[in-house]
Amino acid sequence: MDGSIQGVSVSAGKGVCITVSIRMRTRVTGWCFVIAAVVLICLFYFYPMIQAFNLSLKSGVGTNLQYVGFENYKRLFTDSNFITAVTNTFIYLIVQVPIMIILALLLSVMLNSDKLRLKGLFRTAIFLPCVTSLVAYSVIFKYLFANDGLVNLLLLRLSIIDRPIGWITDPFWAKVTIILAITWRWTGYNMIFYLSALQNIDRSIYEAATIDGASAFGKFTKITVPLLKPIILFTSIMSTIGTLQLFDEVMNITKGGPGNATMSISQYIYNLSFKYTPDFGYAATVSYAIVVLIVIFSYMQFKVAGDRR
Amino acid sequence: MIARRVFMYLFLGVTAFVSIFPFLWMVVSSTNPSVEVTKGRLMPGTHLFVNLSNLVERIDLVRALANSLVIALITTGLALLIGSLAGYGFEIYRSRAKDAVFNILLLSMMIPFAALMVPLYRMFAWLSGKMPVIGIDTKAAVILPTMATAFLIFFFRQNTKMFEREMIEAGRIDGLGELGIFLRIYVPTMRTTYAAAAIITFMSSWNNYMWPLVVLQSDAKKTIPLLISNLGSSYSPDYGMIMTAIVIATLPTALVFFLMQKHFVAGMIGSVK
Amino acid sequence: MKKWLTVVLAVMLLLSACSSGGGNKQDSSSGGGNGGGDNGGSASGGKEATEITIWAWDPNFNIKALNIAKERYSKINPDVKINIVENAQADIIQKLNTGLGSGTTTGLPNIVLIEDYRAQSFLKAFPDMFYELTDTFNAADFAEYKVGPTSVDGRNYGLPFDSGVTGLFVRTDYLAEAGYSADDLQALTWNEFIEIGKNVKEATGKDMLSLDPNDLGIIRVMIQTAGKWYLDENGEKPFLAGNEALKEAFQLYKEMMEADIVKPNADWSQFVAAFNSGDVASVPTGNWINASIKAESSQAGKWAVVPIPRLAGQPGSVNASNLGGSSWYVLNVPGKEAAADFLAKTFGSDVEFYQELVTEIGAIGTYIPASTGEAYSAADPFYNGQKTIADFAKWTEDIPRVNFGAHTYVIEDILVVEMQNYLNGKPLDDALNDAQKQAEAQVR
Repeated sequence: MDGSIQGVSVSAGKGVCITVSIRMRTRVTGWCFVIAAVVLICLFYFYPMIQAFNLSLKSGVGTNLQYVGFENYKRLFTDSNFITAVTNTFIYLIVQVPIMIILALLLSVMLNSDKLRLKGLFRTAIFLPCVTSLVAYSVIFKYLFANDGLVNLLLLRLSIIDRPIGWITDPFWAKVTIILAITWRWTGYNMIFYLSALQNIDRSIYEAATIDGASAFGKFTKITVPLLKPIILFTSIMSTIGTLQLFDEVMNITKGGPGNATMSISQYIYNLSFKYTPDFGYAATVSYAIVVLIVIFSYMQFKVAGDRR
Repeated sequence: MIARRVFMYLFLGVTAFVSIFPFLWMVVSSTNPSVEVTKGRLMPGTHLFVNLSNLVERIDLVRALANSLVIALITTGLALLIGSLAGYGFEIYRSRAKDAVFNILLLSMMIPFAALMVPLYRMFAWLSGKMPVIGIDTKAAVILPTMATAFLIFFFRQNTKMFEREMIEAGRIDGLGELGIFLRIYVPTMRTTYAAAAIITFMSSWNNYMWPLVVLQSDAKKTIPLLISNLGSSYSPDYGMIMTAIVIATLPTALVFFLMQKHFVAGMIGSVK
Repeated sequence: MKKWLTVVLAVMLLLSACSSGGGNKQDSSSGGGNGGGDNGGSASGGKEATEITIWAWDPNFNIKALNIAKERYSKINPDVKINIVENAQADIIQKLNTGLGSGTTTGLPNIVLIEDYRAQSFLKAFPDMFYELTDTFNAADFAEYKVGPTSVDGRNYGLPFDSGVTGLFVRTDYLAEAGYSADDLQALTWNEFIEIGKNVKEATGKDMLSLDPNDLGIIRVMIQTAGKWYLDENGEKPFLAGNEALKEAFQLYKEMMEADIVKPNADWSQFVAAFNSGDVASVPTGNWINASIKAESSQAGKWAVVPIPRLAGQPGSVNASNLGGSSWYVLNVPGKEAAADFLAKTFGSDVEFYQELVTEIGAIGTYIPASTGEAYSAADPFYNGQKTIADFAKWTEDIPRVNFGAHTYVIEDILVVEMQNYLNGKPLDDALNDAQKQAEAQVR
C-alpha cells in the first residue's frame, strides 16, 4: 500500500526518499515535498525575472536596445506619468484593501452561522462577481455610473445629490468608481478564503465562550480574528499584491482616465510595452519598481502580524 | 435578537443583489439583439436563439470550451498537487533554509506578468525548435508556467498553520510513512482548503488571458476568453451575441463554485479526532 | 478519496492532451488547416512556403475582405494555402510586439494588418522584421495620403488597404426641424458646425454629437484637414506648442463642450448607442461607421452624409480628412515572397476585387483605379439614394498627406490630460507648452 502510493508520488516528480535517521529523514523528506514546486517556479518565474532585470538596464525602441545602466531607474523619479500612476495605485491600496478585508470577514462570519438559511444562495451570489466576465461587468459599470446612468438617477431621485456626479468623468469620483469596482469584484473572493478557514475552527471554543457570557462582537474579536490571523495575513498580502498590480478594472472601466487620473502602474507598463512604440527596457524597469513596492509593503505586513520570520 | 437577524438578512440581501445584478444583466442581454443591449435594456427578449446560432456560426464554440476545459482541469489538478505538497512541506518540515527559500519564492508573485511575457515567449519559442509538443501553440505551453505558483504554496502553508500537529504524530505512531500521513490524514482534513484552492485555480486558469493570447496562435487551439475578445473587436460588434458567449463561458466556473462550496460545511471538526 | 480521483483524472487528461496536442485536428473553419506539427505554417523550416498565415481583426470587414481575396487568388495560384486567423486588434498588437520583441520568428504570421497610426512605430522598432514591397505593386495607384505612413525612406513596406476617409453623417430629420437641409452643409467650417449644433439643440433637444473624453479622434480629424499632425513633417519631433491647427482644434473642442451639444460616452457601445437610439444629430467620423448606423434599420431614410467640416482659421484646410485605416504588412519570415505575391495580385491590382469589397462589405479601398468601377457609383437607399461610395471615394483623393510618425498614441495620452486641464480653465498656450515638454521627454 505504501509502495503504491510512493509510485504515484514518483510519477509526480518526487524522488524516492531514502532515510537514515529520524532527523535526516524529516529534513530530506521535507525537501522532497517542496522540490517540484521550487524547480518549476525557478524555471518559469525566476529565469524570466532575471532576463527582465537585464532588460530593465537597457533602453531603446523595439529590439534596438542598448545598455544604459541605471539610467532607467533614475528616469522613474522624474517621470510624471509614473509618479501619477504610483500615487493613484497607493490611494487604491490604502483605501480599498482594509475596507474589502473587513467586509469579507463580516460576510464570511455571517454566512458561517448555523442559524442562517439560504446560505448556499447567498454565498453563490456574493461570489458571482469573481466569476462574472471582465468585459461584462466593465460595460455594466460604465452604464450604471454614466452621467445619465442608474446610479445618478437613483441618487437624484432620493435627493442625496442635486447634480449628477461624474463617476467616470471627474478625476476624484473616477477613483471612487474604481475602488467600488474592485471591492465589488474581489470581496467574494476573499470571503471564500475566510469561509474555508472558519470551518477549521472548533465549534466547542465558541460554545465555551457563550457559556462564559461573551457577546457576538467579543467572540468575533477575541476568538475568530486571532485564530484567522494566518489567513487574514494571506489575503492582506494577496490583496496588496493584486492592488499594486491592478490592471483589469482600470483598463476596462476608465482606461486610466479622465486624463491619467486613475492610471495604475500596470497600465503604464502595458502602455510602454504595447500602446506606444515599445520600450521594453523601461517597461521592465517600471515592473521592478512595483516589485520593490510590493516587497516593502509585504515585509511591513509580515512584521505587523508578528509572524516568526 | 430579531433586530439583529433582520439586519443580517437585509445586509446580506442587499449585498447579494448588488453582486448579482451585473450577472443578471448579462443573462438578460444575451436574449436581446445588439441594438437593445447598447441601450441598456433590462427586460429579457426573444433573441437568445438567434444570438446563439450566430455565435456558433461565428466561432468554434465547442472546441474553444473544450480547450479551456482541458487546460483548466489539468492545471487545477497539477497545481493543487504541487502547491499543497510544497505548502505542507514548508510548514511541517520547517527549517531556516526552507524559510529562506520560501521567502524567495514569494518574490515570484510580485512581478507583474507583463514583464515576464517576452522572456517566457522566447523560452517557448526555443522549445518549439527542440520539443515542439510543448512549444508555442500547444496546451502544454499554456499549462507549464501556471502549474506552480507561489500563491498556492503560500495559501496552503498558511492554512497548514491551523492544522493540528498531534495528528501527524498519531499517524507516525500508527506506522504511516510521511507521504502516507500527507495523503491519508492531511488531505482529508484540509478538504475545505482544497475546495477553495480548486475554485480559485480553476477560475484563474479558465479566465487566463494574457499568456494564452501570446502563446496560442491557431484558431484550433484558442481558449474561450480569446475568442470572446475577437467578438468585440469590430467596427460594429454584435453585443447580444457577445453577451451570449460570455454567459456560456461563465457557466463552468459558476458550476465549479457551486459544487465546491458545499464543502464549506462545518462538521469536519470532531470527526477527525 | 477525492484526492486520488483528482490525481488519476489529472494524469489521464495529461496523457490524452499530450497525444492530441501532437496531431491536432484540422481547423476547418478558417480554411486550409495545418496538418501535423505545431503552428500555423511559419518559420519552422519545411517546404518553401506553400502556406501563409494572415492575422487581421473584424470578421465583417477585414476578414471578409481576406476571404474574398483568397477565393480570387486561388484561381490564379491554387497551390498556396492561405490561413486566416482572426484576433482582436489590441490582441494583434500585443502578440506582434511580444513575438517581434522576443527576437524569434516562431509563431509569427506572414501577413499582418496594422493600423496606419501605428505602422511607423513597428517599422522603426523592428526594422529587420518587415519585408520590402516596393517592387511588388505600383504605389502611385494608391491614394497619396496612405503611401507615406506605409513607407520608410521611400521604400514601401505596407500595401494600403481601407480608407478611413471621414464624413459627417447627419440626421436629416433633426436638421429639418432646425431649418437646415443636407445641401446647406456641403462646405462647412467647424465654427458653422457648432452654430448648427446649437440651433439643432434648441429646436429638437438633441445633442449634435457624442465624444469620449479619452479619445481625441476628433482632434486628429480636425488637424488633418489642414495637413498637420502631432508631429513635425518628418514625423520625428512632437509639434504641439506653436501648432496653430492644433490650437484651433482645441478651442473648437472647448466651444463644443461649452455649447452643451456633446453627449459624453465612455465606451464604444455607448458611442454606437448614442446614434442608434437617436440621441445625437450627427456623427463626424470615418466611413466605416456605416454598418453600425445602418444596424438601426428603423432610421432608414433619415440619414445623409456630407463632407467633414474644415478649420476656418487655417489656410489650405479642406473638407476631407481621415480617421483610422489600416494596411497590410509582410513579415520577414519564410513565405514572404508568396505572401507578397498574394497581396499584389489581389489588393494590389484587382479592380473587380475592389468592387466586390464595396458590394459585399461596404469597404472602401484606397486603390484609385477601382473608383471607376460600377459599385462605386451605386446609390444607397438608406441615405435616400445618395451615392455615398462615390462621395467617399472623391473625398479620399482630397485627404491631405500627413506623416503619422511613430508616436501618435503617446502624444495623444499626453494631450488627453492637458485637454482636461484646458477644459478646467488652464490657458491653452500653457497646456500645449506643457504637453510639448512632456512629449519631448517621453519620445526618445
